Order: sequence, then structure tokens, then C-alpha cells
Amino acid sequence: MAKRQDASTGQIVDDGQPAAEAPKEKLVDGKPVMSLKVYSPFHVYYNEEAFSLSAENATGPFDVLPHHHNFISLLTSCEMHVAAPSGNKRIRIAGGLLHVHQDTVRVFLDV
Amino acid sequence: MRRPQDIELEEKAMATISTLTSAFEGLSSMRIAQIKDQVVESQAFFADLWQMYSQLRVDQLFNYGRTAEAKVIEKELFIAITAEGGFSGDIDQRLISWMLKKYDPTKHDIVIVGHHGAMQLSQAGVSFKKYFKLPEKDANINVAPLIGYVQQYKSTSVFYQTYISLMVQDIKQIELHAAVQAAGKKVEEGDDIISERNYIFEPSSFAVVAHLERTMLEISLSQTILESKLAQYASRFRAMSAAKDLAQETHAHLHTEYNRAKRALNDQRLKEIISGMKLMRSRSA
Repeated sequence: MAKRQDASTGQIVDDGQPAAEAPKEKLVDGKPVMSLKVYSPFHVYYNEEAFSLSAENATGPFDVLPHHHNFISLLTSCEMHVAAPSGNKRIRIAGGLLHVHQDTVRVFLDV
Repeated sequence: MRRPQDIELEEKAMATISTLTSAFEGLSSMRIAQIKDQVVESQAFFADLWQMYSQLRVDQLFNYGRTAEAKVIEKELFIAITAEGGFSGDIDQRLISWMLKKYDPTKHDIVIVGHHGAMQLSQAGVSFKKYFKLPEKDANINVAPLIGYVQQYKSTSVFYQTYISLMVQDIKQIELHAAVQAAGKKVEEGDDIISERNYIFEPSSFAVVAHLERTMLEISLSQTILESKLAQYASRFRAMSAAKDLAQETHAHLHTEYNRAKRALNDQRLKEIISGMKLMRSRSA
């Protein structure tokens, strides 16, 4: 049952309604992770879970962490840094497109 | 009758040809398998891009990745993809003749890929805007210079060779925009709508849409080039298979001829010995 705070008494009470299920957060070593895929039409460079991704766009360097807002960005030539449970990785790119949606990150590299 | 030593030399040469053609046949077959895998991978990449593009709900307004202010040449661009030369049979000739039947200099401009096609256009006295070498490698083909031409024209048609099977290759014409749309129709549409209300765009949604359109055009064009190469490798495989069969047949024939010649030589020697012995016997008697 879902619990709520009663406005008049300030006590925590059951409201009799089933609790809404919150999206399950995926943790590795106690830290939240997101799914990351970096690929071009003919090659997959990375397709695993990651703690964070650092890249650059026209505005400058930026990071993507789990729970990031939905985001689409053109990437400029840079060296991407991936912090992952399997170890850190660096991927040099000439450009591409980044798509972030519900802890799923895809980087489409330029052809 | 030829000497067995001469036949033996020829037989050895034929065995070498047979081994070489067999190796070329194997190489072509390997390349065909590699290209097929690449086409499958690029289709998956295209599907993901198209899904995002369709969620932006601008797929009916496809604009070749051009900006709204870009000036467009009111002609159709013909792109012909041909071989660099050698082992391509008559398929390039068929492709060029077919394209020239549709060609009207007032309505069309031509960009040619591959030396073989460029030579045939020159021989036919037809001028073309630009010639590009057919890429030697089979992956990460850079089609950006070609897309630069595509974006200048109102529409684009691509003439290329298609792979039907190892034994059958054909020629095909596609309108590039229609090809992108057709490939997109095969992709399952995403449910969510992507807009500036629920997404952050950098630098802007227009720039993202233009980038998506340009990338999908590049993939479609790369796929036509890959399919042409696939057809060329299949044609080469067929030629090498035929050459190998012929070499093996000739080798078997030469081997029989060698055995016959060797036997004939032995018989001749035996006859000489017998007649020599007869002569000696008659003299002693």
C-alpha cells in the first residue's frame, strides 16, 4: 500500500491505494549505470553499460550521467571518455550524433 | 607426336593457373561474405536513425539535408556506379547504354563513379560533371563529396549493378529520396514524439534534422556502392570459376596426352630393342 502524510495530523498513513511502481534503477557496484552504444554504419565501437560519458559539442565539453534529461546533440571532433564498470575507455571521433533517452545513450558516428 | 617433356611443362603451367584461379575464386567469395555482413550492419544503423527521424515527425518533409535558403539546380542528377575496370564483363556497358537512353542534357547532369564507366561515356561523346574513383576498400566509404552534389540538385537517380545471386547480376535505377523513404518504411516506428518540449537539442532541432537526412542519404548511397561492388565480386567469382573449370579440364586432358606420349615413347624404344635383337640374332645365325 502507498503511504502519505496526513495534512491535518502530520502522521504517515496508508491511503489504501497500491503504490505506483517507480522505474527500477540499475546499479553496478552501488553506482547507477546507463546503457551506451557507440557505432558507425559498419562497426560497433562500444556496446556496454557505463557510469558516464564525456564528449564535446559546439558549445563545449559536457558529460552525460544516468538520469540525464532527454537530449539530442551534434558532436564535434573530440576524444570521448567512457567510465564503465569494465574500465575506462577513450574513443576518438570525427563527429556524430548523440541521443539520450531514459538512461539509454546512443552515439551515431559520422559515416 | 609432341614430346612428353613438353606436355609435362604445359601440364605444370595449367596446374598453376588452376591453383591461382581457385585462390581468386576464394578471395571473391570471402569479399562477398564480408560485404553482405557490412550491408546488414549498416541497415541496423539506418533503422535506428530512421526511428529517431520518424519520431521527429518531419519524414514527409525530407529535404536532402539542405538548409531552407539553399539554391537548388532545377535538373535531375544521374549518378552511375561502375567498375574500375577488368573482369566486369558487359554489365557496365549495359548500365551506361540504359542510362544514356534516359539522358537529356537539358534535364540531367551526370556524375560517374568508376573508370570503366567514365571511359565509356567519353567514347560515346557524353560529358559528365565529375568523375570519382570507385573506392578500393569495402568499409567506411566516404560519400560526402557525392552528397555535396546530391544536395545541389532538385532530385537524384542512381544507376548501379545489383547482386541477385552468384550467377546472376542485374542493373537497377533508384531515385535516392524514394530509396531513403522505402528503407524507412521497413523500420518500425517509435511511439514517442521527439520535440523541443520533451528534448534538449544542440545546436538546434533544424540542424539535427539536416544531419539525420544527410547521414541517411550517405548510408543509402554507400549501400548502392556496396551492392555494385558485391555484383562486381560475384561477376569476378563467376569468371574465376569458369577459368578454373577450364584449367582443370585442360590439365586432365594434358595429363592423358602426357601418359599416351610416354607410352608411345616406351613402345618405340621397345620396338627398336626388339628389332635390334632380331638383327643381332639373324647375323649370328
